Amino acid sequence: MRSLTLHLKILIAALVSLGVLMTVYQIFVLNIPVTEHETDNLWNIDAKIEFQASGNAPVKLQMYVPPLGDNYTSLNESFISKNYGVSVNRQNENRQITWSARRNAGKQTLYYRMVLTTRFGADQAKPSGPVFRESLPVEGMEKIAAEALLAPIRQHSADIETFISETIKRVNNKDDDNSKLLLGGNNSPERKADVIDLVLSIAKVPMQRVHTLRLDIGANQEPELWIRSFNGKKWLYFNPQTGQQGLPADRLIWWLGDEPLFNLEGGSRPQVTFTINSSEINAIRLAQLTGSASSATSFLDYSLYGLPLSTQQTYQVMIMIPIGVLVILILRNLGGLQTLGTFTPVLIALAFRETQLGFGILLFSLITALGLSLRSYLEHLKLQMLPRLSVVLTFVVVLIAVISLFSHKLGLERGLSISLFPMVILTMTIERLSITWEERGGNTAFKVAVGTLFAATLAHYLMSIQELNYFVFTFPGVLLVMVGFMLAMGRYRGYRLTELFRFKAFLKD
Amino acid sequence: MFGLIKTWRELEAKGIMGINRRNADYVLKYNKRSLYPVVDDKILTKERALANGINVPEMYGIIESERDISKLHKILDGRNDFVIKPAQGAGGDGIIVIADRFEGRYKTVSGKIISHDEIEYQVSNILTGLYSLGGGRDRALIEYRVSPDPIFKSISYEGVPDIRIIVLMGYPVMAMLRLPTRQSGGKANLHQGAIGVGVDLATGITLQGTWLNNKISKHPDTTQPVAGVQLPYWQQFMELAASCYELCGLGYIGVDMVLDQEKGPLILELNARPGLNIQIANNAGLTPRAHAIESHVATLAKENHTETPAERVALAQQLFAAK
Repeated sequence: MRSLTLHLKILIAALVSLGVLMTVYQIFVLNIPVTEHETDNLWNIDAKIEFQASGNAPVKLQMYVPPLGDNYTSLNESFISKNYGVSVNRQNENRQITWSARRNAGKQTLYYRMVLTTRFGADQAKPSGPVFRESLPVEGMEKIAAEALLAPIRQHSADIETFISETIKRVNNKDDDNSKLLLGGNNSPERKADVIDLVLSIAKVPMQRVHTLRLDIGANQEPELWIRSFNGKKWLYFNPQTGQQGLPADRLIWWLGDEPLFNLEGGSRPQVTFTINSSEINAIRLAQLTGSASSATSFLDYSLYGLPLSTQQTYQVMIMIPIGVLVILILRNLGGLQTLGTFTPVLIALAFRETQLGFGILLFSLITALGLSLRSYLEHLKLQMLPRLSVVLTFVVVLIAVISLFSHKLGLERGLSISLFPMVILTMTIERLSITWEERGGNTAFKVAVGTLFAATLAHYLMSIQELNYFVFTFPGVLLVMVGFMLAMGRYRGYRLTELFRFKAFLKD
Repeated sequence: MFGLIKTWRELEAKGIMGINRRNADYVLKYNKRSLYPVVDDKILTKERALANGINVPEMYGIIESERDISKLHKILDGRNDFVIKPAQGAGGDGIIVIADRFEGRYKTVSGKIISHDEIEYQVSNILTGLYSLGGGRDRALIEYRVSPDPIFKSISYEGVPDIRIIVLMGYPVMAMLRLPTRQSGGKANLHQGAIGVGVDLATGITLQGTWLNNKISKHPDTTQPVAGVQLPYWQQFMELAASCYELCGLGYIGVDMVLDQEKGPLILELNARPGLNIQIANNAGLTPRAHAIESHVATLAKENHTETPAERVALAQQLFAAK
């Protein structure tokens, strides 16, 4: 017996920890949303390219598009253009789209649209980058100014990180003559990046320009220039204007390097405008949309979400049955509530799904009461069990049909829903109730019937909580935890609530 | 809420056994499912009892199929009083008790006159499983009618009072006299309104009573005090109950016995899930008694020793005598 208890304890511990681990893994590692109402922002980025085609030469437009990969997942990408051939190719860390046409004249408009989200991004690859480079060629006065600028930076810095931020600070210092000379009166971020690049190159510190877009609803956004450097372990991002370090989460890297955003041949007056919009999408739907790249979606493929939609609906009902069973278990073994049969209340609770609660209770009581009176009449005829049950079942069917007909004539559409009220369950309920009535008396039968309805109502209530339904359906590991609890209940030895009243006589000494 | 916790603590301190503990620690642990048919089927119980030389009401005959019903005449021939019951019935349903013959018909205990055809119809009902536990086919059993000893006249209303002894691994742990009342309709089931009266295991003298979960001291129909009655043949009852362990192999049973005017103590039936109200009747909890027996059995098992029913009765009487 002792070993059995140990066995049981181990089994319970294993099931509960497995269930909890599964759920925790799903929530924290796979980022599966905990509630159905959790939504994610879906970013819609439109890049609109307009230019004037010259009409007498082939048109070729090359434009960088986001390389993706890091923290973002692209859901959809589209290239909208008339009479243009489109190709996308990778260049080192960038992606470039090429629109080309043999001959086109007049004003041309091309669109590039991408839909992306932050959740379910693929795992990041190990970053790598250059740690050394040659100095940029520089002569005369500028060389002296750059070196003069460099000397205090060297003094005030300890590593690449502090070196770069110190450099940005010095270059942005309006009172510094050296930086003023190097900037040459041009305070644009591009010019500043050039100067920083120059200073860093003399110190042989590599640097890369990063062109980013801010994920913020609005039109006419200009790509913002950032710089980054690899310190041997990771990329360090800096804003050349403010010296701010680290790329904010809402920035999307559009392209890297010194090249301009686009490159046009056979056209003039090109212009690119970015429009960014966001929409909300149900997080779990999103996970299903995001293709096969991330681990979350491959998980979903093997979860209940991998089933066809109609089957899913069935399982959404089925997976709640253990919850109902748990309710009965607690009410009976802890509470001491008397119900008809063990799982009849769960079946009745399922029937309530069709009829709604209040109406369901009304119908249940009505049909059961009428069925019981028929049963007590049949009792006088001394019929055998099977024929008697058949008569009651047929009576129940007729009764349900009559109720449906009446309620339809009265304009109560709700009455039609009971056609699905499980008739066999009702028949068995009537049969058992009448046996209880005869063996234990009307009082007990009434108590049992009320207990059954109470348990069914509670089970129905719990089973129809949408959040709970979603949670169990998405994290089936919860069922293992429940099995653990049920196993523990299997060896529960304490009193039932009703026994505390039953044995009250002992306390009246 | 705190009141409930207090009640819980006090019941626990008294060692009152609840349904969950009875099921988990005793019924499931000591009663092998495969042995249940022996107690559920009264015919099987009777056959086992006879094979072990245990006193039971004499069996006149069994009717197993519709064809057998024609044999009913032969079985009843020359008998004035008898009982017909379903072998797997529950709660006393489907039982006919015939007290006498009257002008070629039969007279039940309550004075109703019924014909032979009606008896055959009742037997046919029993065979189709109208009264059986699972609703499956059943057998009808015709047996000796017990006439209760007059000792119970003053504290009983109609029906036959019976004695229930809870037996754990062959050791009697608690006993109760069950007295039918007007409310119980002559039946001896507590939940139908019969009275349970605790019995001192050592002496066989009745203690207080329980009726519908309350403590009582007088029989509601006869208003006679139920306590202080010396049950005759007590030692025989105890040994009869103790020997039922060998008979059925179930470790935790309620043995129901009657005292017949002529034949003395007889075993009526065995119950694999005896009720818990016996505790109220005895004003004592089952748990400490069961623990005492379990530790005794464990020490015996270490010494590789088993005891005879008489030894077990002696131990139980020594351990559980009323103070």
